[in-house]
Amino acid sequence: MSERERVSAKAEMSSRDQGKDGEARLKGIISEYGIVLVFFLFCAVLAFASPYFLKPKNLINVLRQVSINGLLSIGMTFVILTGGIDLSVGSILAFSSVVAASFVSTAFPGRTEAAPIGIAILASMGVAAVLGGVNGILVSRMKVPAFVATLGMLSMGRGFTFIYTDGMPIPKIDPSFLVIGQGTIFGFVPLPVVIFIIAFGVAWVVLYKTRFGRYVYAVGGNEKSAKVSGINTKLIIFFVYVISGVLAAIGGLILTARTTAGLPQAGQSYELDAIAAVVIGGTSLSGGQGDLRGTLFGALIIGVIGNGLDLLGVSSYYQQVIKGAIIVGAVLLDSFRKRND
Amino acid sequence: MKRLVTVLVVLSLIVGGAFAQAKKQYKIGAAVYGLKAEYMRLWTTALERHPDVQSGLVKITVFDGQYDASVQQAQFENMVVQGYDAILFVPIDINAGAQAVATAANAHIPVIGSNTRVKSDQLTSYIGSNDVLSGNMEAEAVAKAIGGKGNVVILEGPIGQSAQIERRQGNLEALKKYPKIKVLEMKTANWSRAEALTLMEDWLNAYPGKINGVIGQNDEMALGAIQAIKQAGLNVKKFPIAGIDGVTDAMIAVKNNEMVSILQDATGQAQGALDLALRAVIGESYKPKAAFWKDVDWGKTMQKQYSVPWVPITQNNVDNLLSERQALTNR
Repeated sequence: MSERERVSAKAEMSSRDQGKDGEARLKGIISEYGIVLVFFLFCAVLAFASPYFLKPKNLINVLRQVSINGLLSIGMTFVILTGGIDLSVGSILAFSSVVAASFVSTAFPGRTEAAPIGIAILASMGVAAVLGGVNGILVSRMKVPAFVATLGMLSMGRGFTFIYTDGMPIPKIDPSFLVIGQGTIFGFVPLPVVIFIIAFGVAWVVLYKTRFGRYVYAVGGNEKSAKVSGINTKLIIFFVYVISGVLAAIGGLILTARTTAGLPQAGQSYELDAIAAVVIGGTSLSGGQGDLRGTLFGALIIGVIGNGLDLLGVSSYYQQVIKGAIIVGAVLLDSFRKRND
Repeated sequence: MKRLVTVLVVLSLIVGGAFAQAKKQYKIGAAVYGLKAEYMRLWTTALERHPDVQSGLVKITVFDGQYDASVQQAQFENMVVQGYDAILFVPIDINAGAQAVATAANAHIPVIGSNTRVKSDQLTSYIGSNDVLSGNMEAEAVAKAIGGKGNVVILEGPIGQSAQIERRQGNLEALKKYPKIKVLEMKTANWSRAEALTLMEDWLNAYPGKINGVIGQNDEMALGAIQAIKQAGLNVKKFPIAGIDGVTDAMIAVKNNEMVSILQDATGQAQGALDLALRAVIGESYKPKAAFWKDVDWGKTMQKQYSVPWVPITQNNVDNLLSERQALTNR
């Protein structure tokens, strides 16, 4: 080939490359931000389909309604990143919720006046940490598979809840407690949303800016290599279940405040929505892969779908079908993405 | 990936388009605690058969509370945002429901309670049946059938729901008159046939030959008990069993002399509630449409409470009731 031919061939190649480059970049963006794009797509469709969707009051409702599942999903993310799963979050939420209620309600046998809400909060987070800790020990030390251990805790936690309350709801919660679920900042931002944002921020820092967070990914990626490189895998695994439990307790506090009663039936099947949010967000169930941003948008998508379908008057039966389809669709999308990478 | 997105968009648009409306209608939401058991499904169907819904004057949207008070709370918040004209409320919890009512009341949306009570004085009106009375009637029936002495078991509704609270009250008041009757067990089966079946099986094993009668606070649970007794090889006709509601399978069981039951008028409660809602929204010029108002006074102004009478189901009226039920549920 002559010099001129070589130069022009190179030029041709590089312009083709630039075309490919653009395509690759687009693929890269979709790969990075896929879940965010899908979320905005859903919002766009809903905004078109219902005049109420974009109303500020509605958007605030959605955020408020997402906050409980959001909190559970943050904890679930940590657990799933280590390759585990926590089926007991709904029951831990219920138990810590009634424990909190029992401190601030005069309807609870033996209580003549409501305790300070700080005590109620500490007590409920305390019992949740204990239950989460039990999960953690079963999985990390006794080598019980996470599915089985937390399935057992799902049942035990629910049992504890009914024993503690004798099966009865705890009404008459002291009004000072209700602010957790019903208060607002600046007059319009609901407190549950603020609590969620703070929890998310703390989780972000822990997961991405601390050694603990790096170890969580390491354990999930390959537990053996992690151990061999000196990481205390047992401790990491133990702590993620404690984190999951405590976040469930915070969710429980919000729930109790919103419904103004400690309800032993609360939280049933909440673990499924939490897992769904994490999975839709792109975190792999086998561990080591995924991120909090995905979970955030996974939870938002679930909330937006529920809210949107409510606004459109779609019956709950269809909502369940659609939610299931989205979960499967999201995982399929994710595997296509990974195959193309 | 592009195809998936297109399908999603098209699907969503179809769903959206199907529900977009151009004409002015009254938008009324029916927030029911759950649709797993037949009674609330009958209530909902009856509501949709109301003449004003059929004519298009009213658009009803049913919100399934999934037996969860926080779901009902969220549904009320969504209804407020969409500016519903009125809400019909069947709460899962007598206390938690008050918060939902307050949410609607603060937005000046009238809430009519139906079938199940809520502890709120912000309710515009309540239409339901006296659960203490029915609890009383069914316990009396079982007590008399076992000759005033023996052991009974009681299957309860979800603890904390008004029907459970009031029917229990009625059950125990009636049984107090029979000092020779002992209540062996009283537990919740959450209105569920399946849960009652399991519970009854366990009780039959725990107290062999000792249980003389069964009081089910609703039909579904009584039917579950009947199944358990049959599967244990016992003669169900030897066990006086009572339920409440008059769901279809129960009426058939009554016909077969397997149990006694009391019909709860779902049509009256649902359609009557809608009439009251329209009265609140349109004003006194509105004329009620439910057949129920033939026997009950519509009155000059809206009262806080309306009582829908019970109808004991007997061999004399069960065939009529069954054909009425057929007419209601024909699709």
